Amino acid sequence: MEQIIRIEYPDLWLILPELVVLFTGFILFSLDLLYRRINHLLAISISLIGYLLALLLLLLNWGMEGETFYGLYKRDSFSSLMQAFMILLTMALLGFNYLYYRHRRSLYGEFYYILSFSLIGGMFLVSSYNLVVLYVALEGVSISFYILTSLLRSDFNAKEGAFKYLMLGGLSIALASYGAGFMYLYSGSLDLRYILTHVGENHYFLVLGLVLFLIGFAIKIGAVPFHFWLPDAYQGAPTPITAYMASVGKLAFFAPVVRLMPLVQEHFAYAWITTVGIISALTMLYGNLTALVQKDVKRLLAYSSIAHSGYIMAGIAVAEVIGLKAVIYFLIAYSLMGFGSFMVLALLERLPGWENRLEQFSGMRSSTPWLAFSFMVMLLALLGVPPTVGFVGKALVFMSLSFERLWWLALVMIVATGLSTGYYLRITALMFMKDSRISSGMSVSQTEKSLILLITISIVLLGAVPIILWSFVSSSAENLFMR
Amino acid sequence: MEGFPLVSVSMILPLVGSLVVLFAREELSKWIASIFGGLVFALSLLSLLFFDFSKAERVQFEEKYPLIPELSLNLHLGFDGLSYIMYILTTLVSLVAILWSTRDHQISHRLKEYYIWFLLTETFLVGVFASLDLMVFYVFYELTLVPMFFVIGIWGYKLRLYSAYKFFIYIFVSSLFLLLGIVSLAVQHFRQYGKFSFSYFDLLNNSYSLEFEVFMFLLFFIAFAVKTPIVPFHTWLPDAHGEAPTAGSVVLAAILLKMGTYALLRFNIGLFPEASVFLMPIMVLWGIFTIVFASWFTISQSNVKRFVAYSSVSHMGFVVTGMFLLNAEGMRASITEMFAHGLTSSALFMMAGFIYNRLHSFNMQALRGSIKFMPVFALLVAITGFSSMGLPGGSSFWGKFLTIVGAREYTLLLAFLVIVGAFFSAVYVLYLLKTLYLDTKEESRLVHFTDLRGFKLTAFLLVVIPMFLVGFLPFLFFAFYDPYIDSLLGHILSKALGG
Repeated sequence: MEQIIRIEYPDLWLILPELVVLFTGFILFSLDLLYRRINHLLAISISLIGYLLALLLLLLNWGMEGETFYGLYKRDSFSSLMQAFMILLTMALLGFNYLYYRHRRSLYGEFYYILSFSLIGGMFLVSSYNLVVLYVALEGVSISFYILTSLLRSDFNAKEGAFKYLMLGGLSIALASYGAGFMYLYSGSLDLRYILTHVGENHYFLVLGLVLFLIGFAIKIGAVPFHFWLPDAYQGAPTPITAYMASVGKLAFFAPVVRLMPLVQEHFAYAWITTVGIISALTMLYGNLTALVQKDVKRLLAYSSIAHSGYIMAGIAVAEVIGLKAVIYFLIAYSLMGFGSFMVLALLERLPGWENRLEQFSGMRSSTPWLAFSFMVMLLALLGVPPTVGFVGKALVFMSLSFERLWWLALVMIVATGLSTGYYLRITALMFMKDSRISSGMSVSQTEKSLILLITISIVLLGAVPIILWSFVSSSAENLFMR
Repeated sequence: MEGFPLVSVSMILPLVGSLVVLFAREELSKWIASIFGGLVFALSLLSLLFFDFSKAERVQFEEKYPLIPELSLNLHLGFDGLSYIMYILTTLVSLVAILWSTRDHQISHRLKEYYIWFLLTETFLVGVFASLDLMVFYVFYELTLVPMFFVIGIWGYKLRLYSAYKFFIYIFVSSLFLLLGIVSLAVQHFRQYGKFSFSYFDLLNNSYSLEFEVFMFLLFFIAFAVKTPIVPFHTWLPDAHGEAPTAGSVVLAAILLKMGTYALLRFNIGLFPEASVFLMPIMVLWGIFTIVFASWFTISQSNVKRFVAYSSVSHMGFVVTGMFLLNAEGMRASITEMFAHGLTSSALFMMAGFIYNRLHSFNMQALRGSIKFMPVFALLVAITGFSSMGLPGGSSFWGKFLTIVGAREYTLLLAFLVIVGAFFSAVYVLYLLKTLYLDTKEESRLVHFTDLRGFKLTAFLLVVIPMFLVGFLPFLFFAFYDPYIDSLLGHILSKALGG
């Protein structure tokens, strides 16, 4: 019998922003190949133009819905929202990287196109239900991150961090793909939506597959007990890249898990709540307890990032629409706070003798008041003091926990936040209440200064007037649930 | 004043003041802060003319701005009688604190920051008392921590860092329970009415099972018991008060503690009437326990600031006891005592600061007889002491007397227990007055002391004069909150006792 093959022309309009970013990456790649010493200003300009164009296209087609490539790729309000923030943060990163790398004498042309490729990986990661696309996108982001981590070629720590990251990253990818294999075995499909609604035999294939798949992602987001690579990789990486991993990386790696939430609600709700809840509790407690004893602020913020993965997962445990809203809000909130706080460190690293040691923050207020103030706002936001985005995120997570009556997890979250008070306050107090140990301020470009202040303002503004972000978050969460 | 946004103007004025301070020259900052503090106080006095006392149980000067319509989250502001009197206390004490700081030796560096923090505190405090939306209330409640953290940590005395941490951590962590409670109420509202809401008036209509209500009561109670504070949650307070600069202690004792008691009354009793009735015996006994224990702690202090701090805890015991008697006299006593304590604690902390500026010591024994050379100061301190003790004509008299009356409505034994508490709280005041006035020592180094004058005298008078008002004309104050108490009791009756 003749088989009818239905040919569907891809709706390229749906992935136009991605194509633009991809194209930008190729231009940068070609330029780097052609000219051995790339003009950095040119590379930055091309990147910025490309990203700006992609962002404009996203905004122009805001609210556009649809699937293309036979359902491999999905554009919805969730993916648009995530992608918009990813692009914005990548653009912000470009404002910081040049002076940082020049100071560290590690300016390389590959930075620009690898950044593009990681962004494109992230953009694909947030917009698919297909296991193969997820796998390829995950690899895209991860491999770019390994390289970006090791870009300080003469720095031992960077190489060590990248190596650890590579090893565990490889493991996570392997587990995820192994899990994907089992899920395919169960359902004969690679589409997560089909897999999770499919009723077949060998149910344990599905469970095994799902567990392995999720462990793969748990490694990526640094959930306890799969977190070991994270502090080293975050500490070893060039600080702007750490900021990038903590923000764009988190957005990207959490996205597929977020997409899973509405799907598990029907069949796996109980197992999901228990498993994710326990991992979340461990992650919150471990992250905060360990951060409390750190003397190196970059490492401290890395542990704080682990703790935040825990808070976000607490929202994920509640596989309800309210939990989804909390998660998306908190993800975006953390991406801003994490990005900003690591960037502050990136600027401080220009000071001679600066090693991110806790006591070096003493009296920062008198040498660079604007930076101390911004850092204070970011730390208080990470702590969850109102009216910042961090507070709104935490309040929403509490709300979803209360919705599901997960009182024990809420209490763990209170204890964990209580622990975190210690270290966030210590840095704040050192900056404002102790005498100065820094002789002079560092050289900071106007762009960097404005970017830091812009991030600070948005952290407060999005917290004080939550409606700005809420409407987007709310509609995209409801959209995910409607499917 | 119809249509005049009193609340937002009262909140924006100090904010504008802090911006002006930020951009002005450092030496002008205290003048600017004083002017703005004075303006807000004048505004609050002026607004008295427009407050309808006959409808004091209703919200007046109401304003509403949507924040997240989907969650019915609004910046809903306004005053009923209870919050209105707290608002007046706030503007008064803020002005007093600023005026005092202008002549305080401790406040000699980083003046701009100092006054900015104080003005911001005033904005947040007005926000706390004016919020009719629980989430907004929480935001302001938490925000007051930040300026106080800096005020204690930067301008405080020797152990300032430790005290600042302790203050922040205690209150921040305890209020996370409150946050959980607030969002749970909104979720509960969603379950019953199909929409989330944080509005106080919406949440009043929620109904709960007794277990759930008691659980919610406890979540709220943890936060407010630490803030108030009630023994044994009080340990942050002597440190914070002992190390804060004078004006910081004044604001802490006079207003920040009131946030706890105000919220206990409005939220714990208002939102969970059934749980309040259920837990009433425990709460009343807990209040009396707080009075007695804190009085004992007070007498054993050698540091005069810690002495006043512990005495504040004991006063808060009266406030808690009074409100949980759940009758009109008890509540009247409780609110009157809140206001009265705001006045006396301000004056007592200023006394401590005044003496420290001259002797550089807070040691009680070092102060012996010092007061002899400062007649005006001596007089004002004596008035404050007797007022705080509960002598008729003084501000605390009505608080204590009415608590006894309220307790007597139940049993004679309960009234007797309250009297024991009142006795202990009189003991420590007498002990303080004895040390200051009756003990003498070498007087040569005290003879140069100058008396109170200028700004400091003004600050003192601003709190001492109202003490007499409360003492002699209490009905002026009852008019603020009697209608509120009636409506609250009506609500308790209908909810908890089924009408």
